[in-house]
Amino acid sequence: MSPLLRAKLRAVLFGALGIGLFLGAWEAVGVYRLVGSSWPPLSTTLAFAFDPDRATLFRRAMATTFSMAAGGYVIGAAAGIAAGALGVLVRALRPGLDRLVTTIHAIPSVALAPVFIVLLDRDSTGMAIAAMIVGYAMYVATTSGLAVASAAHRDVFAAFGASPLARLWRLELPAALPALAGGLRLAIPGALIGAIIGEWFGASRGLGLLMVSAMHNFQIPLLWSAVLITSAASLVLFGVASLIERRIAERFRA
Amino acid sequence: MPTPAGPAGDAIRLDRVGKAFTLDDGARVDALVDISLSIGQGEFVALIGPSGCGKSTVLRLIAALEAPSEGRVSVEGRAPDELSRAHRLGVAFQDHALLPWLTVSGNVGLPFRLAGRPVDRARVASLLGLVGLAGFEQARPKQLSGGMRQRASIARALALSPDVLLLDEPFGALDAVTRRRLNIELQRIWSEQRITTLLVTHAVDEAIFLADRVVVMSGRPGRILRTLEVPFARPRGPEVMRTPEFHRLVDELTLLLEPEGAA
Repeated sequence: MSPLLRAKLRAVLFGALGIGLFLGAWEAVGVYRLVGSSWPPLSTTLAFAFDPDRATLFRRAMATTFSMAAGGYVIGAAAGIAAGALGVLVRALRPGLDRLVTTIHAIPSVALAPVFIVLLDRDSTGMAIAAMIVGYAMYVATTSGLAVASAAHRDVFAAFGASPLARLWRLELPAALPALAGGLRLAIPGALIGAIIGEWFGASRGLGLLMVSAMHNFQIPLLWSAVLITSAASLVLFGVASLIERRIAERFRA
Repeated sequence: MPTPAGPAGDAIRLDRVGKAFTLDDGARVDALVDISLSIGQGEFVALIGPSGCGKSTVLRLIAALEAPSEGRVSVEGRAPDELSRAHRLGVAFQDHALLPWLTVSGNVGLPFRLAGRPVDRARVASLLGLVGLAGFEQARPKQLSGGMRQRASIARALALSPDVLLLDEPFGALDAVTRRRLNIELQRIWSEQRITTLLVTHAVDEAIFLADRVVVMSGRPGRILRTLEVPFARPRGPEVMRTPEFHRLVDELTLLLEPEGAA
């Protein structure tokens, strides 16, 4: 066995061991009621989540929450990238945009939810909050990413008589791709959090609504099932985005 | 100091040029003082000097990457940025500055794209052959050695058959053996094209081997100390570097570069 393969195998093994220990601890804490009755064992939660009788309930909640998160993700990413690019291209706008975006980000999204409920409707509030969280991440990723290109590269482009647009398209944008991919990865949990928080303010369905109503009615396994589904989705998407980001970084980073 | 013009008129002219930088604390530092220099059409001039003497700044003024604080820089009788905007300038720096996401041939073809012209594939292929990178067309910069990256960077500089070639320590980061080999190759490549060239270097032997004229600069603030006409006929082969005359000139100029009192 080659040393590289052995190192890889060891990493996978340790990773699996860590996850196993975590899940085992989750089960043990629940079985022996180490922190009281509101921590069900993992097996109970899984049995609840995968019960065929509740398949429709969870499927509808997932469809609602994930589509809100996805919609907010796409809108937020587009707006964040557009605002970031505008700030880089039109320098006069940059300080104002920086301050505006930072100020909005400094307000907890929970506090903004009532505003969105008034402006939009109860069911799209989650999408709006998700878009705001993602938009901030992408604004920061875009403005810092477009500044990544080295001074030496800029000198070469200037000496070859590149127009500002050619420089953006052939130098600054490709050089920004790793930062943009990193921003898109980091924004994934934010989109899910935004969608779920939005549902706490009176949405008609969704995983966030399930969490709130389970909490109010002391339906512990239901609460944990909704949390489990959300976490699993976030982790899987985050993992996929990490793989994509790694490929992009390999190609576009010197 | 009168500056002799090249054989076919001046391609590049610096007229009593000064350059001062302002530091963060507001202090003014003179990088260049009273630099007058002419480079003739088709002439190869090397600029040598101790590190920090402002020799790279001279090159950056000609490339229109900096503006002079005093005096005038002209290239082909016009402002230097007109040359780069017309895509008639070629540059290669110590940092190869190849784009990591493009292949070698993509990098060498880049100046065509920046000039808004279709990439001349035959030209790119012949340049890659010229610099000894045939067979590496599809490689990416990070797969190449340091010397190969500099070859690609020089091929890129030559892509549009520029009127003026500016080389800023292109081999400065390479080991002595690779550097010597690339000097011999640059000599061969330049002899075929005879582009007006300014080479900035701190290596005296490199300057004497490659240039028609060597201009020696003093330390901060940078001034021109001396100009030496290199007596060796072209084409020059590596055997020139083994002649006693070559060694004598290297010794002479090396002594000029040493700080006063160090000898």
